[in-house]
Amino acid sequence: MLHPRDPIDRSSLGRQLTRAANAPVADILAGFPAQPAHAAVRIGVTGPPGAGKSSLTARLCRRRLDAGRRLGVIAIDPTSPFTSGAILGDRIRMEDVSSHEQLFIRSLASRGAHNGLTDNLPEILLTLDCHDFDEVIVETVGIGQVECAVRDLVDTTVLVLNPESGDQVQAMKAGVLEAADIIVVNKADLPGATKIAAEVQSVIRIRDHSENDWTPRVLMTSRHDEPGLENLDHALTEHLRWVRSRVDETARRRARLAYHLNTLVMRLSTERIRDLPPEWLDAGLSEAFKKLIESLS
Amino acid sequence: MTSLKLQPLRGKRILIAKPGLDGHDIGAKVISLALRDAGAEVIYTGLRKSPEYVARVAAEEGVDAVGLSLLSGSHKELVKDVMEQLRAFEASELPVFVGGTIPPQDREHLLELGVKGIFTSDMRLDDVVASVAKALA
Repeated sequence: MLHPRDPIDRSSLGRQLTRAANAPVADILAGFPAQPAHAAVRIGVTGPPGAGKSSLTARLCRRRLDAGRRLGVIAIDPTSPFTSGAILGDRIRMEDVSSHEQLFIRSLASRGAHNGLTDNLPEILLTLDCHDFDEVIVETVGIGQVECAVRDLVDTTVLVLNPESGDQVQAMKAGVLEAADIIVVNKADLPGATKIAAEVQSVIRIRDHSENDWTPRVLMTSRHDEPGLENLDHALTEHLRWVRSRVDETARRRARLAYHLNTLVMRLSTERIRDLPPEWLDAGLSEAFKKLIESLS
Repeated sequence: MTSLKLQPLRGKRILIAKPGLDGHDIGAKVISLALRDAGAEVIYTGLRKSPEYVARVAAEEGVDAVGLSLLSGSHKELVKDVMEQLRAFEASELPVFVGGTIPPQDREHLLELGVKGIFTSDMRLDDVVASVAKALA
């Protein structure tokens, strides 16, 4: 993007994102927010806590900003199940880049979502689409289902591991490693990094890859390692290009809509169940289920 | 099951900011955790931020309140600058609180600048949280 752009209207976008984050299901079904003409490219960055995701994302943002892009970052941190509060600490880990003119960061708590994402994430992404961002990075903490959940919404999924991830790699072998397009072993200067990278690589090799598939890349990076970061930057660009050339727009639109439908239905049903009259619960499972479904329609 | 009594700041987004040149942020971190324990979603700017950055983040993050942690003595100038910058970012409605080392003779001045509450380090955390919750209710 070489043409001069209007600066990011932070006040207006900030307010719109608040509205999107809090929009009740009824508003969403009534057409909020409006569907934008252009969708920003979406990158998911995920992985277990302690992998250094935020710092790595910050360094990656710096490179991609230097290439002239406008970037949005949605940084999701977990809501405490005990206090309902959250420390949204990703922004401070991105200090080095957080005041860049072409960067916008929104920190969010996971709130009611149990898959590591956040309520109304589709609405939040649509709102960003209306503001001329080239790329939007969704950063989440996760092990297990999270990686797969974010995959439904983004174009490229980057999984960040670290040398202490050993047990997590074992746990993740079924499913999650298949969901990532790029796997980064961060903190590669620590012992065990090469071993983790090799383990991940062997899991990937075992799977059947047809010629038409993207073979997930396994990369290593560490804090002062510029060539490693450059590899990541290039792999990301390459995968995004690959997606663009292969993507079946209709299939993707349907998949995202299905995801959206699922989140709305789950929110509604959670709300209803929370306020269920006790008599319904006394009536037994089938009756309660029937009444719940009726109340949802 | 959490109740509004136990989590009076549930659903509130609060920015804790360190404008100016303070060298440490133990107080800011302590208050951040206390606010979280009362149910708030807390964003902390980190040390040595400009008033412009503080206001920019407040707007970008759509927070419900801003807490300024100030230790180094230039609170009058910094509060004035932050308030000006909040106006520039169309966020002059945002309640602003100030915490840290504020001499009693400067309280009136800060309140006139529009600060909604002043919390000095001798105050109990419970009372600080309760004051903020009352102001944001």
